[in-house]
Amino acid sequence: MGGKVIGSILAALVLVATWGPGAAWAQKGPIKIGFLAPMTGGAAQVGKDMVNGLTMWLEEHGHIIAGRKVEVIVEDTQGQPNVALTKLRKLVESDKVQVLAGGLFAHVGYALAPKVDEYRIPMLYPVMAADDLTQRKPARWVVRTGWTSSQPSHPFGEWVVKTLGYKRVVTIGIDYAFGWEVVGGFQKTFEEAGGQIIQKLWPPLGTTDFAPYLSQVRRDADAVFALMVAASSLRFPRQYADAGLKARLPLLGGGTTFDEFVLPSLGDEAIGGISPLIYSAAIDTPVNRRFVKEYRARYGKVPSYYSESCYTTGQWINDAAKSIGGDVEDREKFLAALRKVEVPDAPRGPVKLDAYGNPIQNIYVRKVEKKDGELWNTVIQTFPAVSQFGKYKPEEFLKQPVYDRNFPPCKYC
Amino acid sequence: MTRRALAPGTPRIAIAIVFGLLAVSPPFVSSFLQALLTQAVIYAILAMSLDVVLGYIGLASLGHAAYLGLGAYSVGILATRHGAGFWVTLTVGVLLATAVAAVFGLVALRATGVYFLMITLALGMVVWGLAHRWVSLTQGDNGISGVPRPDLGLPWSFAHAIPFYYLVFTAFLVAFGVLRGIVRSPFGATLVGIRESESRMRTLGYHVWLHKYIGFIIAGGVGGFAGVLWAYDNGFVSPADLELSTSVEILLMVALGGRGTLLGPALGAGLIVFLKNLVSVYTQRWLLILGAVYIGTIVYAPEGIVGALRQWTKGERAWAGR
Amino acid sequence: MREAPALALRLADVSKEFGGLRALDRVSLAVAPGERRAIIGPNGAGKTTLFSLISGETRPTVGRIALFDRDVTRLSPHRRAALGLARTYQITNLFPRLTALENCLLAVQALTPVKLHLHRALTRYPALFERARGVLDAVGLGDKEGDAARNLSHGEQRQLEIALALAGMPRLLLLDEPTAGLSPAESHSMTALLKKLDPAITLLVIEHDMDVAFELTDRITVLHYGRVVADGFAHEVRANPLVQEIYLGAP
Repeated sequence: MGGKVIGSILAALVLVATWGPGAAWAQKGPIKIGFLAPMTGGAAQVGKDMVNGLTMWLEEHGHIIAGRKVEVIVEDTQGQPNVALTKLRKLVESDKVQVLAGGLFAHVGYALAPKVDEYRIPMLYPVMAADDLTQRKPARWVVRTGWTSSQPSHPFGEWVVKTLGYKRVVTIGIDYAFGWEVVGGFQKTFEEAGGQIIQKLWPPLGTTDFAPYLSQVRRDADAVFALMVAASSLRFPRQYADAGLKARLPLLGGGTTFDEFVLPSLGDEAIGGISPLIYSAAIDTPVNRRFVKEYRARYGKVPSYYSESCYTTGQWINDAAKSIGGDVEDREKFLAALRKVEVPDAPRGPVKLDAYGNPIQNIYVRKVEKKDGELWNTVIQTFPAVSQFGKYKPEEFLKQPVYDRNFPPCKYC
Repeated sequence: MTRRALAPGTPRIAIAIVFGLLAVSPPFVSSFLQALLTQAVIYAILAMSLDVVLGYIGLASLGHAAYLGLGAYSVGILATRHGAGFWVTLTVGVLLATAVAAVFGLVALRATGVYFLMITLALGMVVWGLAHRWVSLTQGDNGISGVPRPDLGLPWSFAHAIPFYYLVFTAFLVAFGVLRGIVRSPFGATLVGIRESESRMRTLGYHVWLHKYIGFIIAGGVGGFAGVLWAYDNGFVSPADLELSTSVEILLMVALGGRGTLLGPALGAGLIVFLKNLVSVYTQRWLLILGAVYIGTIVYAPEGIVGALRQWTKGERAWAGR
Repeated sequence: MREAPALALRLADVSKEFGGLRALDRVSLAVAPGERRAIIGPNGAGKTTLFSLISGETRPTVGRIALFDRDVTRLSPHRRAALGLARTYQITNLFPRLTALENCLLAVQALTPVKLHLHRALTRYPALFERARGVLDAVGLGDKEGDAARNLSHGEQRQLEIALALAGMPRLLLLDEPTAGLSPAESHSMTALLKKLDPAITLLVIEHDMDVAFELTDRITVLHYGRVVADGFAHEVRANPLVQEIYLGAP
């Protein structure tokens, strides 16, 4: 097994050749933040948005938190749970970070949570949205600064019936946990408000040709609710229009179907799409206007919710550390402080945590519109201070199983 | 005896030194390196198991991650839901992988070459699909988290990195011993003959299919064995472990290290695990480096690293002379 | 003890078509145990196809084949080998990257249950090595055992072919042009080698060199366009006017 030896030598050579010695971890005293994000692979662009958000906050504040210098160590998860676990170990055991943040994809979130508890190091989840991470399987040391997948869907489902008046809706959701949760949350409140889901279609993850699904869509519906992610978000609106559906059935969606990450790549066919999320770059508040302007100046594009959430995560760590006088080495105290943070003026609006460690925050219903030649998610409705449980009591809500492909069941299909 | 290496002792000494280092060094390296060593050793078992199919039978499989997954899910499901212990999960994991290999072999071994590649790919996707869609059992793509480290009823706890490493290292030695015994046995010689000329073996009187089938099943079983350890190491199982990219990675490990050499694939596994995890700490261009390593291997050492070393030391690929 | 069979090989009205081409046309053949038989005929007469049918590598379109009084028409090659059939190839078919000894070991263990043993190193079976070296010695390659087959001369590769065939101690041996491409001297020593074979082995030889054919065998079957056109003792065949016309080229 010479692999280890040769591997180490090779790695060392590469290190010397590309980076040179004397990297970072020499000084004493900085607060070290370990940040996990996919920096290579299919989701590398999302990873970049995430890092940009955090970096921007730190740069704006001189890399100082509670009077201490801040050092961020970014590790590439490659979007894979096992790599994320290895890098987590490296950040905690070799780099001795005091706080962790980041991560993308639900399975990475589930993989990391037990280890984070084992290490007893606080970790902030700005993006990973799997419902049960703060519902049925909460981890003590995980603090979510993002959202749960079904959180925006809850107020939205009811709103679609009561405001838009749609009674019969077809759903098309990417067939994996995130899709099930977004669609499930929508179905629950939509049907409780008197609507009927008359058809549920589940294209598999990675689908790029939706023609077989679009041809099945029942034409006697009032609207279509689509949940797309990444590559499928880029293609879906075009194909929806090409199938002749845009003119007949209004297109609603989950937040990621039309988020700022994909909008610049979409054409006019996306105009009119309505979706709920915790953020829109078009939120018309001074804080957000400044944030968007600054972000564009730095990175040349409109911030996505990934960027906003990681930016706010920087603020979050700051506020918690400040409240305990910078003593982040006392982990229990630090964790308690993190859970108590209330950010009244994040770009997305006021944010604070519920008892389960998930933000209570505004949900914005956004409509894709064209302004100055660009697509924006104009906010057409704001639900203030929405918890992950919506209008339900947590104990009642948690009695139902987590949303999946067949829950809630399709009673009107 | 056939004429062997000019300096027959050299490779053995080198191998002994590496094994010695693997046995002695872990307590003295950083915990991150310990974690990488553990992973590398598990992947080494996996790569060696695939080498039976690729290196000895001469068939390229793109579905080997399926066996890793079967072993890993056996642990994930049994340990978290039923509190099953190490020996139970190990037995079930290996038997399940063996049984599935026995079924897959019936389908896949009808073909050779690129058709074998495509059939194994499809079969691998079937297992991935099950992991992804059979949510009530596997929890879908959220994966199964919270797999505890094994308890063997021994006085030390395998929750700690060092004892767990030694457990994995012992497993590696066992797997290596078993596979080495097999490839050097008359049966292993038969596999080499099949790789070299299937038609000739047939007229010599070999039931070629049967030998390939047995080899294929052994590879699956040992792959499941690696999967069991993998689940315990990560404490987590998800369909990501069964993706095509994992199968490709294992195949590359074997090709990189040298197919048909057993230790070569183990070396390849170590190299790739370190490249993937260690080099990516220092540069996001690790994929570029990995690509360069592959190309370098294809151009300068088409038989893989160990294959090239053997030619260099004039050690034939002989098994009869040892 | 096996009961002596009446016939080592019998083909009954065997035909083989490839697409529309009839390579063999209702060939019948009976070879007695211990007989030495040559198959001759011009290129394309169907000789090698005939061997492939006997060894089981291809199946006849119609007709039956029996080895040692047992119908083997549907049997796979390895089952026929187990009955005591071995063959060599016109185009050398060895394990080129393996050594001469390893080539022979594979041939030796082929018909023993040892080939399925996976718990013990091959080197722990000295009897196999002994027999492998035995056949190598028998064909005169005793000093080449460590050479990779691809590094042997053409003549040595032909000898190794014979060794592989002999290693399984066959009762019926099919030799496909054993002297093809050999120098006169090599050809001569090959002929001498084949003449020394155990007389109990039934021998079927495809041969282009008429001198070799007449020297090695007592009976000759002539194939022409897939048909048996003559069959008999050497002198009879030699005298057959049809054979002279189509094969020997003499009027």
